[in-house]
Amino acid sequence: MRGSDEERLDALFRAFRDCPTPEPSVNFMPTLWARIESRQRFAFSFRRMAGAFITAALALSVALGIYLALPQSNQAYYSQTYIEATANSNLNTSDIVGPVLSDLSDPGR
Amino acid sequence: MLVDFEVIKRAQTGDSAAFNEVVLAYRKRVLGTIARSIARPEDVEDVAQEVFLRLYFSLEQLRTPEVFEPWLYRLTVNAAYDYLRKQRRRMEFRMSDLSEQQVIMADAVAGGKIERDVQYHKKIRESVDSILGAVSEADRILLMLKEVDGLSLKELEKIYKVNENALKVRLFRARQRVLKAFGAASKGKSPDNGG
Repeated sequence: MRGSDEERLDALFRAFRDCPTPEPSVNFMPTLWARIESRQRFAFSFRRMAGAFITAALALSVALGIYLALPQSNQAYYSQTYIEATANSNLNTSDIVGPVLSDLSDPGR
Repeated sequence: MLVDFEVIKRAQTGDSAAFNEVVLAYRKRVLGTIARSIARPEDVEDVAQEVFLRLYFSLEQLRTPEVFEPWLYRLTVNAAYDYLRKQRRRMEFRMSDLSEQQVIMADAVAGGKIERDVQYHKKIRESVDSILGAVSEADRILLMLKEVDGLSLKELEKIYKVNENALKVRLFRARQRVLKAFGAASKGKSPDNGG
C-alpha cells in the first residue's frame, strides 16, 4: 500500500514536472527595468537624505566645539573660592548669628 | 550555463545590455521554478521579477561567475520562500480541501490516461499544492527542486550550503510527510500534520 502511494506520488510529481511553465509576458523586461529604476531612485534619494543629515550633524558638532572652545566671559567669577563668592554675595547683609550680649549685673530681669 | 562567464562579468560591472542578456537567458527557468514552488500563477511573474531585481542589486557581490547558477537558484528559492511566508495566512488550498476528484485525478495521472489540457494541468497543480501543505514552505521548495526540477544532491548542497547528509535527512522527512498526506487524502480522511 505504501509502495503504491510512493508510485502514485512520483507519478504526480512527474505530471507536475510536465506541466507547461508560464511564458514571460511582453511586459516582463520593461516592468523589471521600471522596478530597478524605481529602487535606484529610492536608494539615491535615501543616500542624499543620509548625506544631508550627516553634513548637518557635522556642522552642529563643529559649532558646538567652537562654542565650547571660546573663553568664557565670567571666568573671573569661577576663579573665586566658595568662601570668597559667598562673602561677596553677602556684603550688605548683617550677620545672622551675632555676638550674644548678656548683662549679668541685673539678675532681676 | 546558459550564458558565457564573460557576460556575467560584464553584468557585474553594471553593463545593462549584459544584464538584459542574463535575464533573457534565465527568466524561463526562474519562472518555471517559481511556478512549481508557489500556487498562484498570477503571482509567478511578480516573484520572478523580484528575483532579478535582487540579482541586479547583488550581482557585484558574486565572487566568481562559475557559481552563478547555484547563486541564482538561491535567490529564486529565497524569493519563493518569502512569498510563501507572506501568503501563509491566505493559503487557498489546504490539506482538507483535497477533493475526491483530485485524488481520482492523481490516480489517473499514474495511469497516464488523461488528455493533457489546461484544465488537467490546473488540477495537477492544485493536487500538488494541496499535498505540499503538509510540509513547511522551506521544505516545500526543497522538495520541488529535488523531485520536480530534478536537481541532484550536489547541486542542492551548493544552493543551500549544507552538507549532503543533512539534506538527505530533510528531504526524507519532507517526503514522508507528503506521502502521509497523500495517502490520507487518497483515503478521504484528514491527515495528521504533526512534526
